[in-house]
Amino acid sequence: MSAVLQFENVTKEYRAFPGRRLCALRNFNLAVEQGEIFGFLGPNGAGKSTAIHLAMGFMRPTAGRGLMLGQPFGHAATRRRVGFLAENVALYHRQAEHLVRFYGALNGMGGEQLSSRARGVLDLVGLSSHTGRNVSKFSRGMLQRAGLAQALVNDPELLILDEPTSALDPLARVAVRELLLGARNAGKTIFLSSHLLSEVELVCDRVAVLHRGELVRLGRTTDLLSSAGQTQIVFRGVAASAVPGAVQQNGVGRLLISAADQRAALERVWAAGGEVVSVNPVRRSLEEMFLEVTADRPTAAPSSPAPAIS
Amino acid sequence: MKPVLLIAINFVREQRWPIFVLLLWILLLTFLGLVSDIPHEREELLFLFKQVAVYAVAFSIFFGGSAIYNERKTRRILAVLSKGVDRRQYLSGLVLGVSMACGIYCFSLGITGSWTLGQAGFPMSQVWFLMLCVIAACTLAGTVALMFSTFLNPFFAAGATAAVLGIPAVLSRTTLSQWEYLMPVYLLTSEVWKSSFSSPGRIWWLPIGMAICETVLFWVLAARIFSRVDIAVAVE
Repeated sequence: MSAVLQFENVTKEYRAFPGRRLCALRNFNLAVEQGEIFGFLGPNGAGKSTAIHLAMGFMRPTAGRGLMLGQPFGHAATRRRVGFLAENVALYHRQAEHLVRFYGALNGMGGEQLSSRARGVLDLVGLSSHTGRNVSKFSRGMLQRAGLAQALVNDPELLILDEPTSALDPLARVAVRELLLGARNAGKTIFLSSHLLSEVELVCDRVAVLHRGELVRLGRTTDLLSSAGQTQIVFRGVAASAVPGAVQQNGVGRLLISAADQRAALERVWAAGGEVVSVNPVRRSLEEMFLEVTADRPTAAPSSPAPAIS
Repeated sequence: MKPVLLIAINFVREQRWPIFVLLLWILLLTFLGLVSDIPHEREELLFLFKQVAVYAVAFSIFFGGSAIYNERKTRRILAVLSKGVDRRQYLSGLVLGVSMACGIYCFSLGITGSWTLGQAGFPMSQVWFLMLCVIAACTLAGTVALMFSTFLNPFFAAGATAAVLGIPAVLSRTTLSQWEYLMPVYLLTSEVWKSSFSSPGRIWWLPIGMAICETVLFWVLAARIFSRVDIAVAVE
């Protein structure tokens, strides 16, 4: 698969008064493949929005380079094939349909194709009954949906979404989730920055975690959530104290062991006269993984090995 | 070209209330002019017309100096530049938008001026030529302000623009008169200011041509600076 979005040793420093420099991204490397939903996580100030703004060409990297759809960051013609939703949606105060048409026209669309597409995306985000309303009268959630509509109007190959569901109610979130999954099934690539870890866990194929401008974790969501080969054995018919390492919980015994010790542990349960109810690999939540990797850690020294990139 | 036009029209749309207030101001002055004793008060009428015409240059500095700042502060610039719009196209759209806004003002002033001053015996063709001078001056002043606003806040951008436009004017009055050719805004506004019923002025294209050339020059400079600006960083 080819990389749709690629950061190569990107560093971004901001100048701060007096004469100081703040490093928002440090030697950042990442490759987002075609047709995946990529979750981009990190605490506030980790550098997520900076990375997105660099990719969109709103900023220039201090060092390094990047490619979006095979072209260097900031290539205007390439942005015609990209949909972008900013973290704080800010749109002109126009009727929703006129607004979406305006943004579509900026991408070179026009005529009946643009009109029908504008109506289509407004319908897709659940604003079909508000097409004639000025967006200045919209609630924050509706504004976010209008922002999503303008990002989708050009039928983009790559969608870059910065907190797309932060202001949405649960129903709208489900709708957006389905929309993202549908887009992925249609071969689109989605780069999703979000603090809603449960959403990311549900839809993202791969996840990257950024902390203090550095990539601290990257991998397939399923791999990151599996708890390093740990297995939980649940048994009954025997007191937990009869099996070393087990705890009694809700009338059953639970034993947490490494996968390598699974066979021996099962034999211990059977030898004690117990009945095995279930044997399952332990799965962490994304939140647990996130908290673990973003726990306050000192910034990596220059000699530290770079985080593994897959 | 289409994005440039869209951005320009959008700019005018966003500035519709200030433009509307300025048009009301012109209408009010026209009304006052019409109810006055035109044959006897024609000199006052012409003075008022020239004064209101020259104000347009200040409006263009205000429009040009605040355009990028407002867009960056509201973050609406992000949605526009996330589309297939080059930064040069964006700047061109703003220059065109500032010129259109000033053009609307000057066109209204031209209509009302030719109506009132025409009754007083001022040549109508000269009214429209003076309006053309004002539009050219506005376009140049607005572009200079826009250039400064790519890296300064509106207050300092307006100050820097006033200095760039004003210093050659001051020098032309105190030293060599040729200094006024350096930044023809002063030359163009002088054309307006010097016109009178006894000497309405001449149709002189040189300052307009120079203003167009310098507008292009400042646009190129603005585009070079703007291409290096981090637009997603908060501006203060």
